[in-house]
Amino acid sequence: MKIPWFYFASPSTFYRLAGWLAPWFFGLAAILGAAGLYVGFIVAPTDAQQGEVYRIIFVHVPASWMSMFIYFVMACYCGVSLTFNTRLAAMMARSLAPTGAMFTFVALWTGSFWGRPTWGTYWVWDARITSELVLLFLYFGFIALANAFEDPRRGDRAAALLALIGIVNLPIIYFSVVWWNTLHQGSSVKLTGSTMQVAMLWGMLLMALSFWMYSIGASLTRVRAIILDRERRTHWVRALAA
Amino acid sequence: MKPHEFYIWMSYGMTALALAAEILALRVRRARSLRRIEEERDLEAQD
Repeated sequence: MKIPWFYFASPSTFYRLAGWLAPWFFGLAAILGAAGLYVGFIVAPTDAQQGEVYRIIFVHVPASWMSMFIYFVMACYCGVSLTFNTRLAAMMARSLAPTGAMFTFVALWTGSFWGRPTWGTYWVWDARITSELVLLFLYFGFIALANAFEDPRRGDRAAALLALIGIVNLPIIYFSVVWWNTLHQGSSVKLTGSTMQVAMLWGMLLMALSFWMYSIGASLTRVRAIILDRERRTHWVRALAA
Repeated sequence: MKPHEFYIWMSYGMTALALAAEILALRVRRARSLRRIEEERDLEAQD
């Protein structure tokens, strides 16, 4: 089956498609989130070393994953936008940035509240934590730069360049626990397998899926507002708002 | 949860707050965009 990419790349078509899809993704996020919290708080046992405080990982790890994944997807959209000069790709990159920044903030916040009882401190200038903080500043920089120009297309291009340069930070975050001697623990979940107890792993994966679905729903909802702003002088938007 | 309930609830509380704040921001953003379109249309109608 041939997918008509150009048809879906049209803002007017995508506006309607996003409006139809977003509630489904929010619904899925709510169901997966409820299941993840149930497994995380009821099914998963107490950790032998950390006690109950380890349950913070059910939001901390998925938020950290999403902070990096959203940045990667945002940079891909920026690459497409710069290469093919596509309006919708730039709008999608803009719509992802606030959600990515929110998850980066949540990852840092929850990590801090997990660090205090386990390491004895809320903050340490550790390679993993510092590079995650740099990621938050990259998101802020992207949002600020995208909105700094009167002509939104110039803002798109400037922010896209920053996003593409900033992608170098992602492997630094991921491999920081391998390359440097850090206080932050190494990865418990890898593509090759996991060292975690099964219920703990499922709780974390369900929450990660929930955050993923939420991110899609939020970005689709935001891109609709961006499309309305950009296309506000077109007939189809005027007719829509009438 | 004891003795670490403060850390657990601060983490989950902030996560819930951040998600709620973003959903609220999305609604406000959409309403602002629609209002802007209506304002521009009304201005053009006056001209």
